[in-house]
Amino acid sequence: MSAENLTTKFADVIGWERRKRRERLVADAFCLSWGLAILAFPLHVYLPDGPWRWLVPLVLLAGVGPCLAYCARWRRADTTRAVLQLDKMLRLAERAITAWEITARPAAGGAALLVLKQADDRLRAVEPRSLFPRRRSWSVCLALPLFGLWFALLWRDFDRQLFRHDKSLTPPTLAYRLREFARELQERARSEGLHESLKMGEELEKVARQAMDAKASDDELKSDAGGVARKFEAETKARVDQDSFTAGESRRSLEDLKAELEAARDLMQLPGAAGEQPAAQWMERLAALPQLRRHLQPHMRPGQSSTGNEIKSLLENLDRQVSGELDRRAVLDAQRYLEQMMKQPGRQDGEGHQYARTPGGDQRESPAGGEEDKSRGNRPGKEPGKRGEEYRSLPEFRAGASTQVKGLLGEGDSRAIEFKGKPSAGKSTLGAAEVVASYRRQAEQELNSERVPDALKETIRNYFMSLGAEEPQQK
Amino acid sequence: MDPVTEIEQRIDSARSSFEELRAEMARVIVGHEELIEHVFIALVCGGHCLLEGVPGLGKTLMVRSLGEVLNLSFSRIQFTPDLMPADITGTNVLTDDPSGRKVFDFQRGPVFAHIVLADEINRATPKTQSALLEAMQEQSVTVGGRIHRLESPFMVLATQNPIEMEGTYPLPEAQVDRFFFKLVLRFPSHEELARIADLTTAAAVAPPREILDAPGVLRLRQWVREVPLAEAVKDYAVRLVMSTHPQQKEGNVAGGLAQRYVLYGSSPRGLQSLILAAKARALLAGRPNVSFEDIRAALLPSLRHRLILNLEADAEGVNAEKILGEIVAQVPEVI
Repeated sequence: MSAENLTTKFADVIGWERRKRRERLVADAFCLSWGLAILAFPLHVYLPDGPWRWLVPLVLLAGVGPCLAYCARWRRADTTRAVLQLDKMLRLAERAITAWEITARPAAGGAALLVLKQADDRLRAVEPRSLFPRRRSWSVCLALPLFGLWFALLWRDFDRQLFRHDKSLTPPTLAYRLREFARELQERARSEGLHESLKMGEELEKVARQAMDAKASDDELKSDAGGVARKFEAETKARVDQDSFTAGESRRSLEDLKAELEAARDLMQLPGAAGEQPAAQWMERLAALPQLRRHLQPHMRPGQSSTGNEIKSLLENLDRQVSGELDRRAVLDAQRYLEQMMKQPGRQDGEGHQYARTPGGDQRESPAGGEEDKSRGNRPGKEPGKRGEEYRSLPEFRAGASTQVKGLLGEGDSRAIEFKGKPSAGKSTLGAAEVVASYRRQAEQELNSERVPDALKETIRNYFMSLGAEEPQQK
Repeated sequence: MDPVTEIEQRIDSARSSFEELRAEMARVIVGHEELIEHVFIALVCGGHCLLEGVPGLGKTLMVRSLGEVLNLSFSRIQFTPDLMPADITGTNVLTDDPSGRKVFDFQRGPVFAHIVLADEINRATPKTQSALLEAMQEQSVTVGGRIHRLESPFMVLATQNPIEMEGTYPLPEAQVDRFFFKLVLRFPSHEELARIADLTTAAAVAPPREILDAPGVLRLRQWVREVPLAEAVKDYAVRLVMSTHPQQKEGNVAGGLAQRYVLYGSSPRGLQSLILAAKARALLAGRPNVSFEDIRAALLPSLRHRLILNLEADAEGVNAEKILGEIVAQVPEVI
């Protein structure tokens, strides 16, 4: 009888302890899961839109729960500890644990029966739940506040507000890059008054936006963008005026000329402008501008006078030609850049929408001879040291002819040739005094060396000193 | 009779006998309550004790009184360097029988008593020591090829003087290990000393009355072995003994002093002594089972003489008691 009672009593105690452990385990798992869910807010940016972020704690619970359950699983030592707790609490001097082991044996002797009896007497009235009440652990205290905090933060979209998706983390698509390129082209065209470039930028942006909305493939986008570029290329070629002086001008000189034309326009619009002053006087004032003077010189011959309206129409004509040429070149540049962007497999840093024309000239004057300077170009171009598919050798140089060296768009080293003076056959002059002076220097150096006998030094010195006084200057 | 009732009576009888023994001994011996308890525990466990204390602390009086209370024969052997083994065990003496023939008659030595006090055992030669140790182990002596059984119960209380070690023959560790307990006698307190003076310098005190006898002690020995021992308590005792071994990793949770100063730990005899003593203590306290407290109470007397310390311990004054104290503090009851 004692053994049966004790077995039941021990089972109650052990069962109660196991239940408390399970409850603590659940609270720990709950706290851990919701705590980790709060810490995982930065990762919500990778979740698709929808209710997925609300399920994060449940997913964590599914992972954390079994791990905790395994680590805190009930072992035999836990049973021993649970029974020993009875001994400690009731001061039974290990009677309970001895009785618990005796109940597991098949037969018990006299002393064992006494142990069982005494343990039964002491434990009969014991109620495990009142003797070992639940204790509040940290996890039980934290569980509800953590849940409330998580819920509140998520309800207020705190994760989205604080950890906004940074688009720069993901590589931009081709459509995105095209759109950015088109916007930059438009911006530049508006600032410089380039109508064709503006139209091209608008059409390219339209193509890019359509591709982004329709989630079109890169191939479709390349085809559409290429079509736009070809259309503008054809139009641009058709508009090229072979007789225009602007074809042989550098971009820098064209820009300077355009700036001077704007200044001249402003000047003529001032009160007391062209209508009131003589045309010749205006011509003189305009000739002060270096670029403009070159183009106005034919109209400034003696005996040839121009009226104010003629000057205005001349300036307008010049402006039209310059703007048209700048526009044409901008379209060509944009087209080549576009071709390069479409050929690239993916985004490369430094390229993409870094389309910008740098000040200070990106084209050099006509080539032939002179000093070669290899410097890092400031225009986007090919990678340094690499020849692209469109590499062309330098054009044939003709003396006196304006020409244009076309380069490839993209980052990379640029090769430039500087020329001092006109590279044409002609006379060159050298001053006699300079020659004589050099002769004298050389003579002095030789005289001071040991190679000339001392007896002849004076004779030779006198001879060279007499050279400058006797010989006339030669051209 | 109901076995439970029988056991209850048995336990009650043991407890009351012990209480009476303590009370009776307290009339004659001042102080040394713990010593008396341990000696009695060793007796009911069938072991022998090694007593260490300065002269004049009442060792002989205590042992003699114990013999009187338990109605056990008592003999005292004063060990000297010239003591021979035959002086302990006895010898054959040539005598005349009634018919006038010369015959050898075995004259029993002082070892033939229930309780033998071997005073200053370390003063005798190893050969003489071994004669006593053989008697302790075998409970018999062999003289002239004949085996003579000793009395039962038989217990030897050997003493050592800790302050006169020069010219002595210290017991080897293997022989010291055969003693169940090593008990240290401390000097009496002020009150105890005053009471000693009253008892010994006034009128003679009536001898103690008999409480138990030899069969009673033998019954107690049997009851001790029947006291149940829980696995958890046994495991605790094992871990305590394992912790005295610095080389052992399994079950060894103690560190510090044991790792640093112990050369060799306790033998398995130490565990036997520990558990038997704990059982005896539980029985004499009227409990039917062994508790953790019983184990801890028996630890020091059971193991203090079984630890072999290194020279560093000797140099730094670290003794076995200090090491065992740390072990008790570090080893948990349940892991």
